[in-house]
Amino acid sequence: MPETRRRDTAIRTGLRRRDWLWIGLIIVLLAWTGKRVEVDRIAAESGQAALALAGLADDSHMLDVADRIGRSMIPIQLSVVTPVDRIQNFDPERLPLFSHLETRETVSERIDPQSLKPVRTAERRVVLVERYGYLRQLLIKALETLEIAVWATLIAAVLSLPMALLAAKPTMDHGAVRWLVRGMLSILRAIPELIGALLMVLVFGFGPAAGVLALALHGTGFLGKFYAEDMENAPSGPQEALRAIGANRLLLFRYAILPQVLPQFVAYTVYLLDRNFRMATMIGLVGAGGIGQELKGRYDMYEYHHVATIILIIVVSVLLLELLSARLRRRLL
Amino acid sequence: MIELRGVGKRFDGAGKILDSIDLSVPRGQFCVVLGPSGAGKSTLLRLINGLIAPDVGAIRIDGEVLTRANMRRIRRRIGMVHQHFNLTPRLRVADNVLVGALPALPRWRALLGLHARASRERALALAGVVGLDCEQLGRRAETLSGGQQQRVGIARAFMLEPDLVLADEPVASLDPALSIKILGLIRDQASRTGSTVVCSLHQVELARAFADRIVGLNGGRIVLDAAPQSISASDIETLYRGSGVSPVA
Repeated sequence: MPETRRRDTAIRTGLRRRDWLWIGLIIVLLAWTGKRVEVDRIAAESGQAALALAGLADDSHMLDVADRIGRSMIPIQLSVVTPVDRIQNFDPERLPLFSHLETRETVSERIDPQSLKPVRTAERRVVLVERYGYLRQLLIKALETLEIAVWATLIAAVLSLPMALLAAKPTMDHGAVRWLVRGMLSILRAIPELIGALLMVLVFGFGPAAGVLALALHGTGFLGKFYAEDMENAPSGPQEALRAIGANRLLLFRYAILPQVLPQFVAYTVYLLDRNFRMATMIGLVGAGGIGQELKGRYDMYEYHHVATIILIIVVSVLLLELLSARLRRRLL
Repeated sequence: MIELRGVGKRFDGAGKILDSIDLSVPRGQFCVVLGPSGAGKSTLLRLINGLIAPDVGAIRIDGEVLTRANMRRIRRRIGMVHQHFNLTPRLRVADNVLVGALPALPRWRALLGLHARASRERALALAGVVGLDCEQLGRRAETLSGGQQQRVGIARAFMLEPDLVLADEPVASLDPALSIKILGLIRDQASRTGSTVVCSLHQVELARAFADRIVGLNGGRIVLDAAPQSISASDIETLYRGSGVSPVA
C-alpha cells in the first residue's frame, strides 16, 4: 500500500492539498486588504455607473459628480480681466495683444449704517480683458516648470558623474569606497521627489529652489547608479590597453570607458529630464514652484475653469516633451 | 633589456601557469614566445609590463625591478599590441593612435586630448607606415576590419618610440596572408626605432620566419630556447606534446 501511494505522488499532476491551502490563504488575504482599500466600493460604484450609462439604472453617484465637475470646468479659463485702475501706468493707446477694454457694472449690496437698511450701489469700472491672458500666464508657469526640470537634471548629471566614478569597479579599486558611495546613491534614490520637495520647502521656503534641489538629489541617486553600472559593463579590452601604457584611472575613464558609454549616459539623462518635468508639475503641490503651485492654489479655491486649463497645459506639454525626448534618444542610440 | 629570474605565477584554482621562468632578452632582439594555447604565453607578457604581479621571482627591465612606484614610468617605454586589438570602438582611428602618446602629456592636456603638433605629425606618419589613409583616420575604430584594427594597434604601440614592444598573439585572429604583413610591420617598425620585441605566437612557421630567437613555452616552463635556424622538427614535437594541438602554421 505505501508503495502504490509513493508511486501515485511521484507521477501526480494538478494541484495538491497544500496548493489549495495557499490559494485559500491568498484569497482571504486579498479579501481583507481589498476591504481596507475600499475595492468593494470601487466595484459597486463603477458597476452602478455602468448600469446607468446603459440605461438600466436611474442614477449613479459617480456619474453625477463627474457631470458636475465637467460642467464646472467647461468652458476652460483662457482670459484675464483686470480693472484698469489697478494697472500702474496704464496706457489705453497701447493695449497688449488680443485684448480690449470693457466697461463693466458691478452691483454690491451693503447695510447702510444710519438706516440699517440694505443699499444697492452700482459701480461702473473700466476693465482690461486679455482674451488669452490666463493661457499666457500658464505658459510662463509651464516654462518655469521646464526650467526647474532642466536645472535639476543638469545638477544631477554633474553631481552623479564623480559619484559614479567612485562607485564603479574599473575606476575605483577600494571596495569599501564603492560600497559607501553606492549606499549614498541608494539613500538619495530612496527619498521620493515629493517628500524631498516637502523637506526642501522647509529649508528654502516656497519657490523653485526647493523643487530644483529635491529633483536634483533624487536624480543624482538615479543617474549615479546607472552611470556606474554602465561603466562596469563597458568592454575591458580598451581599458587593458590604457593600463598597459601606464595611464591613470582618469585617463582610463576618458579614453577607454567614456566613449563607449556616452550614448547610454545621454539616454539616461534625457529620460531623467523627461521624468523630472513630470515630477516638476507635481512638486508644485507642496509649494516647490512651477505649474503645480498654480494648480494647487486654484483647486483650493474651487476655480475649476482654471484647473481645467492647467490640467490641459500639463498634459499637452508632457506629451510634447515625451515626443521630443523619445526622438532625441532614438537618434543617439 | 629584460631579465626574468625564477618567475612563477599561479591563479586560483588553475594550478601553476608559469613555473620558475629564467629568461633574458637583449636589446634589439625580436624574441618570439612560441607554444600551444594555455602554455602561459599571455601571462608571461602581462607579467613583463606589470599588468599582473608574479608570485615569486623578480622581473627587471633595464636593471629596474617593477614596483608600484616606478610602474607608470617604465610602462611609458613599453608599447603593447594586443590579440583582440583593444581599440576603443567608438573613438576615431586617429584618436586611438594618439592614445599611445598620452603617457607623455601633462595630466590636464592628456585629459582634454590636447596633443602636441609633433605627436600629431608622428601619428600621421605612423598611420602611413602601417597603411592607413586619411579617410580611415577619421572613421570610428569599430568600422575597420580586424586587420586594419591591428594596424591601428601597431601605430598606437609605436607612438612613443618604445624601448620594448610586447605583442600578445598579435595575429591570432587574422588570416595567414595578413598575419605575415602585420608581423612584418611590427618587425620593420621595431628595427627602425631600435625596439626590443617580445611577441607571442602559436604558429611555428610564422615564428621561424620572423624571430631572431624562439622561446618555447609548454605547461608553464621554458622547454626550448634557440635561434630559428637551429630548431628541429623534434624540438617542435616536444614543444607541442600533450597539448592536443598540431604544430601547423
